[in-house]
Amino acid sequence: MDSHQESNRLFRIPFKIPSFHGVRTLGVYISGMFYALGFWVFLDSVLYSKHANASDVHVTFIDWIPFLCSTLGMLIVNSIEKSRLINLEGGNGFMSGSGDMDSAMAWQARSILFCGFALLAGGLSGSIVVLIIKFLIKDYTTYPTVGMGINNVLGNIFILISCIILWIAQNVEDEYSYSLTI
Amino acid sequence: MQFKVSPLTKIISLSGFLALGFLLVILSCALFHNYYPLYDILIFLLAPIPNSIFQNRSDYGSSSFMNDSLDGNSGQGASDFGYFCTGMLVTSGLTLPLVLYHCQLINSVSCAMSISGGLIIYSSIVIFSWFFHSSWNEDDSNDALFT
Repeated sequence: MDSHQESNRLFRIPFKIPSFHGVRTLGVYISGMFYALGFWVFLDSVLYSKHANASDVHVTFIDWIPFLCSTLGMLIVNSIEKSRLINLEGGNGFMSGSGDMDSAMAWQARSILFCGFALLAGGLSGSIVVLIIKFLIKDYTTYPTVGMGINNVLGNIFILISCIILWIAQNVEDEYSYSLTI
Repeated sequence: MQFKVSPLTKIISLSGFLALGFLLVILSCALFHNYYPLYDILIFLLAPIPNSIFQNRSDYGSSSFMNDSLDGNSGQGASDFGYFCTGMLVTSGLTLPLVLYHCQLINSVSCAMSISGGLIIYSSIVIFSWFFHSSWNEDDSNDALFT
């Protein structure tokens, strides 16, 4: 059974992911730290534009949109029950008659997951678009002014990293409990 | 550790430690007549709350629904949310004075004082729950008073 599960996994990873018991907790803590870092790096640009800005470029609602997209995408991606997806990965292989409702549910889960990842990627690319259109094209390339746009991109990158770490942490713990029950 | 410290000594020293943290943060506000770093106290006081709430909840879930795997998973998710909120709040408590310093709302001395004060407050709360968690679990008769 164990070797069968080993051959049935989705990716062939040449190295073992370290899976001791505390790795899930540690990963979730680190993911929260990265999310807060992204939030505050972005909020830094907003507060800088309000209080210490010497130029005539200001952060408006346009700059908030990529951040809101990234946050919404992260919320959607990480609130999906991952056992639905994983069950169907196994069900497609050797249990073909798993029922109609299960496959419909997994299809919904996949499409919602796709929306979540699209929102995350859209947030990151949107922040890059804001940086280019609002700052780089209009020749605001000296640092304290262009820092507002760069902080926006950095904040979205941090939120993406946080989402990736949270996903990996939860999946690693799933593998651990899997091998524990078998 | 052979010598035994009485709980009263622990409480007194920890409360002194906590008061030192509050003193540092309030001094960082009052010396420069700029009361933005007070939000740091609020964040660091909120930081241990989600962890404690969701940790207890997951304990209940694993003890009463030991056989039911689905409920066990949902308890795990709830404790994950608690860990996530704790990490987020601690990091935002650390970065809030840095952001205020970068936006020239407070100066560097006030930034350093409020960061160290907030760290002292948070670590004293964590050490408090760490010291007294085991001793409260030992005698359940007194435990009912506090919970």
